[in-house]
Amino acid sequence: MSAVDRYTCEEVFRRLNDYLDRELSAAEMALVKEHLDTCGQCASEHAFEASVLRELKSKLRRIDLPQSLIDKVAAILAEAGRTNH
Amino acid sequence: MLVNSRTEDAAPAPHTLDDLLRPLLGRAYGLALRLLRDRADAEDLLQEAALAACRGFGTFRAGTNFKAWFFRILTNCYYDRHRRQRHEGPPVEFDETPELYLYSQMAELGLHQGVADPAQALLDRLDSAQIEAALQGLPREYRMVSTLYFIEDFPYEEIAGILGIPLGTVRSRLHRGRKILQKLLWRVAVERGLVPDRAKEPA
Repeated sequence: MSAVDRYTCEEVFRRLNDYLDRELSAAEMALVKEHLDTCGQCASEHAFEASVLRELKSKLRRIDLPQSLIDKVAAILAEAGRTNH
Repeated sequence: MLVNSRTEDAAPAPHTLDDLLRPLLGRAYGLALRLLRDRADAEDLLQEAALAACRGFGTFRAGTNFKAWFFRILTNCYYDRHRRQRHEGPPVEFDETPELYLYSQMAELGLHQGVADPAQALLDRLDSAQIEAALQGLPREYRMVSTLYFIEDFPYEEIAGILGIPLGTVRSRLHRGRKILQKLLWRVAVERGLVPDRAKEPA
């Protein structure tokens, strides 16, 4: 990889969220990773944002489904099933 | 019983709508509740979406992503009810939220020093309800995209399909939503006394 191909801190900064979300092309992912491997400041920012993402995903809770709602939806599905027969 | 596909001697059993929908109900209710922030309204929306799914099940193609298909129906039902509110912009107070908000706030207070994972150190001290409340504080368009991404793990492209918006709009809303969410989380941390309130410090 030549110096011309390498990303600057600014270019990595603009792609940080997409990199975290794996929404870049394989070539862009490689360029960001190559920069993070050699730039302490960008690596620190990336590690922080990756940790925020992990924590959010693990702590945003599943919401309990009321049994009464399960029953109501089951009735809708059963009624639709009868209608289609 | 509703059957999506049936072939003679086919190895995989055909899936009924009931088979496909039941395991998703909790997640669909979570999305409805996060959109509407009201349990009764969320229950109504989910039932309406279930009914719409019954009517439209013939359009579902076996082998494609049923969850994305049903979530699209649910968000369409939501938009049909709340069409007038479709374009809710972010409150002015969030207009200038900088990038890396939590990182910058903690760095300015020296909270990165001597901690291996400063983000975890901060967020570990917030419980799920407080993080959920921060998500609930997002403007609706950002809340929808953030819920589909953070909680339901949909990739950007599928979120675009579910919400019927361009991929670039998903990217920008999620990007902005993250910044606002970080600001809201910082607010919670300040209110709980987990970090100093810099607004109260003498100039």
